[in-house]
Amino acid sequence: MSVLRVAAVQAGYVLMDRDATIDRVAELTAAAARDGAELVVFPEVYVPGTPIWMDTRPIWDGDEEWFALLADNALVIPSPASDRLAAIAAEHQVWLVVGAQEREPHGSTIYNTVLYFSPGGELAGRHRKLVPTGSERTVWGMGDGSTLPVIDTGLARIGGLTCWENYMPLARFYLYTRGIDVWLAPTLAAGDGWIATMRHLARENRMYVIGINPVLHAGQIPALFPGRDRLLPAAYLEANGPWLEEGNTVIVGPDGTVLAGPVRQREETLIADLDLRQVASGRRHLDPAGHYNRPDIFRLHVDTSPRPAVTETAIAGTDDQRA
Amino acid sequence: MERVKVAAVQAAPVLADRDATIGKVIALAETAAAEGARLVAFPEAFVPGYPDWVWRTRPWDATASTLYARLLDQAVVVGSPATDRLSDAARRLGIWLCAGADERDENGSTLYNTLLCFAPDGTLAARHRKLMPTGAERLVWGTGDGSTLTVTETGFGRLGGLICWENYMPLARAALYARGIDVYLAPTWDNSDVWVPTLRHIAKEGRCYVIGVTACIRATDLPDDLPGRAGLYGGPQDWLSRGNSTIVGPDGEILAGPLTGEDGIVYAEIDVSAARTARQQFDAAGHYSRSDILRLTVDTTPHAAVAFRGVDTGEPAPGPAEAR
Repeated sequence: MSVLRVAAVQAGYVLMDRDATIDRVAELTAAAARDGAELVVFPEVYVPGTPIWMDTRPIWDGDEEWFALLADNALVIPSPASDRLAAIAAEHQVWLVVGAQEREPHGSTIYNTVLYFSPGGELAGRHRKLVPTGSERTVWGMGDGSTLPVIDTGLARIGGLTCWENYMPLARFYLYTRGIDVWLAPTLAAGDGWIATMRHLARENRMYVIGINPVLHAGQIPALFPGRDRLLPAAYLEANGPWLEEGNTVIVGPDGTVLAGPVRQREETLIADLDLRQVASGRRHLDPAGHYNRPDIFRLHVDTSPRPAVTETAIAGTDDQRA
Repeated sequence: MERVKVAAVQAAPVLADRDATIGKVIALAETAAAEGARLVAFPEAFVPGYPDWVWRTRPWDATASTLYARLLDQAVVVGSPATDRLSDAARRLGIWLCAGADERDENGSTLYNTLLCFAPDGTLAARHRKLMPTGAERLVWGTGDGSTLTVTETGFGRLGGLICWENYMPLARAALYARGIDVYLAPTWDNSDVWVPTLRHIAKEGRCYVIGVTACIRATDLPDDLPGRAGLYGGPQDWLSRGNSTIVGPDGEILAGPLTGEDGIVYAEIDVSAARTARQQFDAAGHYSRSDILRLTVDTTPHAAVAFRGVDTGEPAPGPAEAR
């Protein structure tokens, strides 16, 4: 059968508490697996939640305590926390895709990363967001071209981009050329404009598109959260309402039809059965990386090499020669 | 930038009748100009109409061939009396007049799906030939080259566009964004309900104004002498295109339309400085690109099938070495 059952989990996180949020991943993945899901997807930076201070206050305006909390609760790979996520995937025999704030073991820069765990409990891929948006640039670094995975699950090729990366035509095109069937778009973007984008992407590459948002009400942030009053100024809540994350989770078919959602202002896991044959047949109409491309006119160059800050070279015998 | 009114004209051409359709274009442009529009856009292949029969005939059968011959005869040649009429209208009305055409070279037998933009001084400021026709369209239209992916300064913003499903070509759009497009024309035949979300996505991706313009035509609009008309087309319920004309602002918000199932002119006021301000948040060709990772090159060379060196160009004939 060429049908893949997916679960898009719209849920709240436990703000800046990595382990408690991973508890939620475990519980919600178990529920989705009971419903027969083979692919379970969580929102952008679900672990340990959005650094919401970046939009509720001016930049660098008393955020040091929160950033320290974020650095402490960011996900390091490998670590017991990432091992736990892998174990959740293996326990339920699902592909588990989770957005996380991630950092290097000795690093202090946080990346907005999506992690792909296989049913075998392996980390099969990771994507660091290439360009953060606006205020996000004061919290997250930028990924390089080495983390643009398209992963073959055996049934479908899955991958995607994070939030406004989905507006990057060249990044999308690169993934299209690699035969992506199911596009995952973890995001914080609210509103109907985002749904229009999800529908456009589906039709542009004749693929399934899953947009996954968190949902969070101000009331879900514990009274004892450090600096809670400063984090949620009354003027901000008055202007923006009590939903810090409104939710917008949606599943779209390869012709741009909305199959489920959008769901807003509540937790809900959307389930859909994706018939992969519709991707193949849809591309007879339009295949942007194939018959609807013009490679004689357009040539895209992609640098997929990892770009570490330092390349160390030890030249054997240097000291002897100097002596 | 100057705030101006723009118009998207949703109407029926006189299918496969070039001069009658141009008469209609001029009359409708006069109406829009009288309402204060400074830019008036017409649908895809409007002069002399979208060859809808490609979806209703078997390839190469006699009716399809007869209709092709008719379209070839009625096609627009740039620099002919037909384009002179459009140019004169743009100048007389002081507008940017943009219209889709079935176009061919003067001595050519291949048709192109072309977007023509005449400036208020009457010059043909832009001519874009669709790069890739869709499905059955490939039986009537050739493909343009990269030389027509241009963006034109109007004084109230940089103008350009793509035709129908070209709008699903990410690289073509990226090229226009890099040229700084502010006012994006999207003439189309697409009637689906996903088309408007696509216009909204493009507006937000390019942080530009998007003018989607679609024909509205049913079988009763077709000329009686259209070859194969009786066999291919029915009555008033037989829609060729219901229309879908919509104008979208740079945050993806719908400013006017969609207009469906009726003729009409959709107007909106645009201010390009709002589009450029919106690029503080997102600029696909600037701060939201990653040119270290993703670099697009575009071949904008005109590609003629034959270049007549030393004959038409006056260049010297090849010397003995080259001749060998």
